[in-house]
Amino acid sequence: MKMINFCKLLVLLAAFFATPGFAESSKVLIVNSDNTVYRYETIATEFKKVLQQNAYQWTEFNLDRHANAEEELKRLIQQENPELIYSIGTKAYSLARIHAHNKKMLFSAVINWRRLDIDAGTYGVANELSSAQEISLLRYFFPTIKKIGLLYNDKFSREYVETIKKDASALGINIVTQSVNDAQEIGEALDQLLPKIDMFWIISDPIVLSGKDSVRQIFQAAEQQKKPVYAYSDVFIEHGAVLAISADIATIGRQSANLAMMMDKDKVPGGTVQVPAGSTITLNKCVLDALQLKFNQDALDSVNKIVGCAKND
Amino acid sequence: MKRILSVFFIFFVFITGGYWSAYSNVGSIIYFYNPETNINNFATLKTAFDTYLVNHGGYYFQPFDDRENFEAVIQEKKGDIYLLSSWHLKALQQKKVPLEIALVGTSKGNTMQRKVLSTKKDIANVSMLKNTVVAGAGSEEYIHSVLKQILGKGQEALLKDIKILIVPKDIDALMAVGFGMATAAISAESSLDKLAMFNPNQFRELHSLGFSEKDYLLIAATLKKPEPQEVELLEVLRKMSEADAGGENLKLLGIDGWRTLQ
Repeated sequence: MKMINFCKLLVLLAAFFATPGFAESSKVLIVNSDNTVYRYETIATEFKKVLQQNAYQWTEFNLDRHANAEEELKRLIQQENPELIYSIGTKAYSLARIHAHNKKMLFSAVINWRRLDIDAGTYGVANELSSAQEISLLRYFFPTIKKIGLLYNDKFSREYVETIKKDASALGINIVTQSVNDAQEIGEALDQLLPKIDMFWIISDPIVLSGKDSVRQIFQAAEQQKKPVYAYSDVFIEHGAVLAISADIATIGRQSANLAMMMDKDKVPGGTVQVPAGSTITLNKCVLDALQLKFNQDALDSVNKIVGCAKND
Repeated sequence: MKRILSVFFIFFVFITGGYWSAYSNVGSIIYFYNPETNINNFATLKTAFDTYLVNHGGYYFQPFDDRENFEAVIQEKKGDIYLLSSWHLKALQQKKVPLEIALVGTSKGNTMQRKVLSTKKDIANVSMLKNTVVAGAGSEEYIHSVLKQILGKGQEALLKDIKILIVPKDIDALMAVGFGMATAAISAESSLDKLAMFNPNQFRELHSLGFSEKDYLLIAATLKKPEPQEVELLEVLRKMSEADAGGENLKLLGIDGWRTLQ
């Protein structure tokens, strides 16, 4: 009788340990700043799809669903002992980093990643395309544009503007710049800049884009002088930008998953933080036609969204 | 709440391709699915083609982002004309789906294209692709199949050690190599020509490690001998490039005209 009970116990134990999730701990822990945010949710979904295709296990922790997120995350890291922690968003990265203790770290959807503390063994996918990518795609759509102008604040954007100039020069484009110290100077700066250029480029500068009035001022001046505006985000399309190019969110998730798998095999290519590999393009056909701009029609198959004129125009 | 639900419902039927049921009493419909691109431009395609087709005979256009849903409407014989890739057509014909080519897309006078495996010049041969990332636009299954064909039987085993990064379009894949996010890219040969035009420096850094077989560009197919209404629709499609608006629409699909196969 004792022998039979012992056998039953063995069978039960075997069944228990054979259940997925108990046999071994999850390899990847996904820490999401807020899964209700579309951008974060899309990145997480694509990341998990690729992991699943490659038979990886993961555990997910969404900060927005926990009142005492930091404590619970700390406990989860100790309990699961993941080999890699993937953080989506700045909040997730900052918390995970405190409790990661020499684990492999990967991040994405972080604003201004250059301002983060990044340890050895940490990799990431940036939030924004590089200026070289943007200029290449800009040239793809408008091959005849030679002079692009932009406003910037020296304190916030000097390095970025220098990079833009270098990248543009390599493709035969001249970047004409005008620095502004505060939003009051925008009007005058535009008066000086616009006559010298073929296109105006809106960069993400906190002084130039300090308020709705600044944005309105830029688009009004550009319209008056019949200069097209290119922007880094499709938010500016409704204001009158002719083209907007930004990173494709879904690709960031897939790219992060590939990076995670390469980290797992210690086969990460050079560079700690990659720029996004996919782009999303919005073209404002209404502005394009109004300005009678020459553009490369063969590039139309690369456009995600074409915006026409509103019917009440 | 009602408003949110109705927006969600419209989005769902539209994106999943369930929209066809709403068209049960309208003219012929063109169904479109292309596994050779991953670009989310369905709303733009729908608006542009519907606007043109409704004014040229009351026809409609329905793009799909999901292969299963597209194949389901073919099985149910819901559509009249199907726009699909050559690779997909062959796969369906192997499953005994009786699709016949009615028109083939053209681009700068060509009806065929081949795919190229491009890398930077320090990657001398395909064996160096072990444990690297290869970028490509399209469905995972499609990129895998093209890569398998290019690698050939001799190097097929490499596939399990290559990670595929799906990007929205060919030029993203090529630039991913240039900017270091991938070691190699699968793209159409014509996309390399585009890269040469807008970023000649990156183009010069690349070389080709292999080519796929040539295949038709986009195909317009029917399930049976076209009936008069379908013949009319095919004619509208064939003549699209003659009108500015029609020509622009074709460019959205990466072609500039249609040709009848002799």
